[in-house]
Amino acid sequence: MNAVLIAQNTFREAIRDRVLAGMVVAGLVLLAIAQVARPLAMGEGVRLTVDLGLSSVTMLGLLVVMLVGTSLVAKEIERRTIFNLLSRPLPRPVYLIGKWAGLSGALWVVSAVLGFALWGVLALLGRGAYWAPIAQSVYLAGLELTVVTALAVMFSALSTPVLSSLYTLGFFLAGQWCDDLRTFALRAPDSLRHLLEFVANVLPNLSLFNMRTLAAVGETTTALHLSLASGYALLYCGCVLALGAAAFESRDFR
Amino acid sequence: MDTRSHMEAAPDAANALAVRPEAGRSSGRSALPSADCAVRISGLTKTYRSNWTLKTTRGLEHLNLEVQRGEVFGYLGPNGAGKTTTLKILTGLLKPTSGHAWLLGEPIEHVRSRVRLGFLPEQPYFYDYLNGVEYLEFVAQLSGMPGQEATKAARRWLGRVGLGDREKLVLRKYSKGMLQRLGLAAALVHEPELVILDEPMSGLDPFGRRDVRDLILEQRERGVTVMFSSHILPDVEMLCDRVAILLRGRLERVATVGELVNGAGARVEFRCAGAPILELPSAWSARLTRTQRAEETLFTLGDASLQQEVLAWLVSQRVEVRAVTPQRNTLEELFMAAAESSAIHASRERRSA
Repeated sequence: MNAVLIAQNTFREAIRDRVLAGMVVAGLVLLAIAQVARPLAMGEGVRLTVDLGLSSVTMLGLLVVMLVGTSLVAKEIERRTIFNLLSRPLPRPVYLIGKWAGLSGALWVVSAVLGFALWGVLALLGRGAYWAPIAQSVYLAGLELTVVTALAVMFSALSTPVLSSLYTLGFFLAGQWCDDLRTFALRAPDSLRHLLEFVANVLPNLSLFNMRTLAAVGETTTALHLSLASGYALLYCGCVLALGAAAFESRDFR
Repeated sequence: MDTRSHMEAAPDAANALAVRPEAGRSSGRSALPSADCAVRISGLTKTYRSNWTLKTTRGLEHLNLEVQRGEVFGYLGPNGAGKTTTLKILTGLLKPTSGHAWLLGEPIEHVRSRVRLGFLPEQPYFYDYLNGVEYLEFVAQLSGMPGQEATKAARRWLGRVGLGDREKLVLRKYSKGMLQRLGLAAALVHEPELVILDEPMSGLDPFGRRDVRDLILEQRERGVTVMFSSHILPDVEMLCDRVAILLRGRLERVATVGELVNGAGARVEFRCAGAPILELPSAWSARLTRTQRAEETLFTLGDASLQQEVLAWLVSQRVEVRAVTPQRNTLEELFMAAAESSAIHASRERRSA
């Protein structure tokens, strides 16, 4: 119950913050730019629109995580608003889960709005049938942002906003190349292979959430892929939040 | 002109507040909380360690304390004495290095110890994107109040602290005094059985202070236990059943306000005429002082139990005694004297080390 209250409040904070509205506006502007640039795409206008539209969901969402998520807990500690919460019957892990759920919820809303706008543009271009790949892509992007938000909340609970931003960005970038790292590990000498495999397992496998190439040509992915991605995101978020909560539990608020 | 300085008053007050470890420490020998204790602290110690220099600083040292249910308890000490550290440990914001504490019988390690607790931190900060009602609703629900009840309580308490006409005003537009009032409302909105307030009068004008005093008295009438720290000693003197004085992380004294101000340090003044060259008996030299004023002589007796003997002696010396006035020590005098005495003691300890 208390996790829901914290999540609702975090969601309300994110919605009232102008950053989210700014991101939605930026996403719509990018879609408009794609339409202006479409004649230059030599017949690949729809592909350009889908690619840019879906990329903007991930990139703008990442920007929200960097601007809001990485200071989500640190800001509460710095401003001492956390004193009024943790002095109530609110377990610290529940607080962290609430913060993560609230911001993730706000990001799902932004992703859905941008995804819907993208589908609207495609419908105007006569590609209304693209709704399925767009919906799947936006769903996967939402999962990806949920995973990155969990990392941001964990770092924010343990570090300063600047360091949290750097760590989160580092994990996001490294997570994009997780599959490449795993492939590289297979060819590496034994001693290095174990280390690389370990790093690949620790990093979030964010390429699992990327089906933009398929969506750009109007193709959908399998239900198995969507299920695996959902399960992986839940498991990864659970591990990250458990780790963050364990460290946060012993923290002093002076 | 009264030539007796404040410094002369200090030894009397220091005697009244002489360190009596058993007063503060005996209560912590049993490890279990008793039913009539709202707060029980046993051997609580907190040391801070710098991450960079690894140097440790003592915040609190082996604190034992009990606050009874239904009493208003003042927690005094100069800046850095460990008051806020204690209150933050009790409310779960700091983890103790060692020792135990219970709130209303529940160990502070469990979150359920905070279900019936209301807490006002020092200089409270709030979510500035919420308005007063939204904020109070939110915190009331966090303390377990159901939704509709929380909304009603939020409106009622916002009105109770004088902010009822600003329900929709976002908190970023609140003044410092308004935020303090909101903080008090937040501490009380869920009708707790124990209220811990860290400097509740801080930042308030005289009207605000009066309102806070009224609120504390109202809570006492309802049977709520109130523990608060403050630097505004007249308020403490007016409100508290008992006070604890903390100096350098150590508990110096726990007593009722009456015991402190009327205790061993209570003085008696004799205003006399015709005694400018009277020689004081050597037996009383440490307790009886003389101050010569323009038209009279003032004798100050540091031990009220000798009042009758001194009066008889003055009369026998044919001194015209114009008035005999018992003097109460103010809490402020006692507090300052205790702080000075502790500083001297600490300095001696350092030198001998």
